[in-house]
Amino acid sequence: MHHKAKLLIFIVVLMLGTGLAAQDMAEPQYAGLDMDLSGINIRMANIGGGTYEAMYESIPIFEEATGATVEIVALLDGFAIDQKLKVDFATGAADYDVAWDHTSFMAQYTDFLLPLNDHFSEEELAAFSPAILDAATVDGNLYLIPRHADISPIHYRLDLYESEEIAAEYLAATGEELTVPTTLEEIDRQARFFVENGHSTFGYTLAGREEALTGRFYEMHFASGGSLFNENWEPTFNDEIGVAVAELLRGWYRDGIIPVDTTDRLWDGVAQYFCNNDTAIKLEWYGWYAWFQDPANCAVNNNFGLARGFTGLSVGGDAVRPSGWAGAHAFSIPATAPNPGAGAQLIKFLSSERVAYEEAQLGYLPVRDDVWERIIADAGTARNPLDRERLVLAQLQVSQDFKTPPLIAEWIPFSNIFYPHMQAILLGDVSAQEGLDQAAAETRELMADAGYYG
Amino acid sequence: MRLQTRVQSGSDIQERRVTDGRISARWFPFFMLLPAILFILVIMLFPLVYSFYVSLTPYELLKPNSLQFELSRALRNYQTLFAESIFWKSVGNTIVFLFLSINLSYVIALSLSQLLARVTRGQGIMRTLLMVPMMFAPILVGFQFRWFFNANVGLVNNLLYSLGLMQERGQIAWLVVEPLGMFSIIVASIWMNLPVLTIILLAGTLSLPQETFEAADVDGANSWQQFRFITFPLLAPFSYIALTILSLDISRAFDIVRIMTDGGPAHRTELNWTYVTRLAIDNTKFGLGSAMSWVTVVLAVVFTLYFFRQLVRSRVVQ
Repeated sequence: MHHKAKLLIFIVVLMLGTGLAAQDMAEPQYAGLDMDLSGINIRMANIGGGTYEAMYESIPIFEEATGATVEIVALLDGFAIDQKLKVDFATGAADYDVAWDHTSFMAQYTDFLLPLNDHFSEEELAAFSPAILDAATVDGNLYLIPRHADISPIHYRLDLYESEEIAAEYLAATGEELTVPTTLEEIDRQARFFVENGHSTFGYTLAGREEALTGRFYEMHFASGGSLFNENWEPTFNDEIGVAVAELLRGWYRDGIIPVDTTDRLWDGVAQYFCNNDTAIKLEWYGWYAWFQDPANCAVNNNFGLARGFTGLSVGGDAVRPSGWAGAHAFSIPATAPNPGAGAQLIKFLSSERVAYEEAQLGYLPVRDDVWERIIADAGTARNPLDRERLVLAQLQVSQDFKTPPLIAEWIPFSNIFYPHMQAILLGDVSAQEGLDQAAAETRELMADAGYYG
Repeated sequence: MRLQTRVQSGSDIQERRVTDGRISARWFPFFMLLPAILFILVIMLFPLVYSFYVSLTPYELLKPNSLQFELSRALRNYQTLFAESIFWKSVGNTIVFLFLSINLSYVIALSLSQLLARVTRGQGIMRTLLMVPMMFAPILVGFQFRWFFNANVGLVNNLLYSLGLMQERGQIAWLVVEPLGMFSIIVASIWMNLPVLTIILLAGTLSLPQETFEAADVDGANSWQQFRFITFPLLAPFSYIALTILSLDISRAFDIVRIMTDGGPAHRTELNWTYVTRLAIDNTKFGLGSAMSWVTVVLAVVFTLYFFRQLVRSRVVQ
C-alpha cells in the first residue's frame, strides 16, 4: 500500500510535470474570436509598407471565426496615414472602425477617438506594458492599444570592428583602441576614420526628413543632457548643446560622413544603406532586424552587432545620458466608427498573444509580457547568439532608456516647423545657431497660439 | 433686325404657351439652365466662397471651434503669409517653375510637331508613342522621375557613371542640391506636358493652307524663312490655346513635386501648391492654407488672363 501510494504520487507528479511542460510549450492563443460578427464589415485604416503588413495576413483567421469581413481602406506610411487621419477626423469622414495610432501622434487625435476602457477588461489590459498604457491614458480615458514598441540600439558592422588591420590603423591614427562606440564623440571619430580611410562608403546614416529628423535631433540633444522645452514650454533646443549637435550633423554632411541625399531619405532609405554594407555605424530601430539578417535581401546579414544607444556630447557635462527615443505603434477606434464593438474585437485579435508573437518574430519589440517570455525562450535555442543578445539589450533599453518625445498635440506641428530648419543647417544654407534660433522663434509662436503661455 | 423680330415673335408664342402654365417666357431659359447653375454653385462657387471665408479665420483642422470669424483678425492669415520668407520663396519658385516648364515645353513641342508634320510614313505610330506620357497619372510620373534622379540607384547617376562622367556612384543628389532639385521637377513636368502641346501644334500645322507655302517656295524662301514668317505666325492662335490649356493644367505638377521632393529639402523646391498642403494638411492650419490657396488662385488667374489677351490679340492680327 505504501509503495502504491508512492507510485501514485510519482505518477501524479509526473503528470503535473508533463502538464506544466505541455503548458510551457502550448501554442500562443488568439483573442477576439469569441463573438459572432456575421454580416459586419469592419473597416480599417492602418500603417503599411515594409514588414508592417505581415500582421494583416492573419486577418482571414479572424474573419472565419467571427463571420465578419475586414476591409482595409488604407495602408500608408506613418506620415501619410497621419495626414489621412487628420483630414478624415476634421471632416467627420473617419468611417472606419480601426485606425493606426502611435504614442507620439496620439495627443493630437484624442478629441476624435473613442475611449477604449469599456471595450477592454482589466484582465485584457494587464498583458500590456503599463508604461505605454499610462502614456495612452488622458483624464482616465485609454485611447490606444499598443501593437509593438521600438527603441534604437547602435548597429555596427563586424567586418570593421573585428579586423586587426583596421584596429591597428585606427590606433596609429588616433592613439585609441577601436572599440564599439559608447559616446557620440567616439562615433564622430570612428565614422570619420572609416570614411577618410576608405573602409566604408559612409560613417553614419540618419533619416533626414519629417519627424524622423526631428526625432533623431531630439535624441542626440537629449542624450547630451539637453531638453527641447523648459518647464514653461519655452523652446530651449537652440542652447549650447543644440548648437553643438546641429554643428556635428552639419559637419557630417559637409564632409561626406553621411550620404549626400540624407535630406531626401526616410527610414527605409537609410536602412537600405546599412543593408548594403555601405554604413559603418548607425542608430537603428530593432524592427529592421529580421530584414538585415535576411541573406536574400541584405549584404550586412551576419555582419553586424548591436550595442546600447550612445551617450551624448560632452558639452552636456554630467547631464549626458544614453539615447532612447522610443514609442509604440498602436490601434485606436475613431469616435465616428460605425461598428466600434466589432473594431474592438479586431484589435483584440491583432494585439493577441499569438498575432503579437508572430510579429515579434520579425524583429519588432513586443508590448506584452507573455510575448517577451516566448521570444526570449525561443532565442535561447537560436543558432545566432545575436538573436538572444538583442533581446537582452532591448529589455535593458526599454526598462532604462525608454524616452518618448513630449506627449503634446503640438509635437507633429512642432516637428513640421523644426525639420526644414534642421535641413537648412545640414545643407549649409544657414549656421547652426541661426537655424535653431529661427526654429525656436516659430515654435514660440506655435506654442503661444496653442495657449501654452496663458 | 429681322432676326431679332423673329426671335421676339417666337418668344411671344412661347410666352403664351408657358404663361398657361406658371413660368413666364423670360424665365423659361433660366429655368432650363437651373440644374446646371445649381450644380456649378454647389460644386464650384460654394467651395470657393467658403474657402475664402475660412482664409479669414484662424481655423485649425483638428480644432473645430477655431472656425470663427473676427473682423479684427480677418486679415491676419494674409499678413502672416506676406511676412514669411517661405511664402516669397514658394512664389518665386512657382514663377520660375511656370516660366521654364511652360516655355521649354512649348519650344520642344513646337519642334516635335514640325518634325512630325514632315513624317510621311508611320506618323500614326509616332503619334501613338507621343501620347504615352498622357497615359500616366501625375503621381506615377513623380515616382518614375524620383527613381530616375535617385542619387544612389537612379538611372541618371548610373548613366553618368557608366559614361565616365562621374567618379563615384551616387555623387550627385539631384533632388537635394540647388538648383538641381528644381531642374529635376521641371524635366518631369515637361515630359508630362509634351503630348498635349505637341498634338495641338501638330493639328495646327497640318491645317495651315498649303498655297501659302507653295507661293513661298516659288519666291525662293528657305525652310527656316517659311517657318519663321509663315508657320510660326499662323500657328499663334494654336500656340496660345495650347499655352492657356497648359497654364490651367500645370497645377497637376503638384503630384509630381509632392512625390519627388515634397517641396524640400529646406523649402528649396517649395511651390505654391506644396506650401498650401504643408500649411493646411501637414500643419493643420486650414485658415492659413486657405489664404495661401487664394493667393495662388489670384496668381493663376492673372497668368491665364495674360494668355487669353495674347490669344485674342493674335486672332485680331491674323
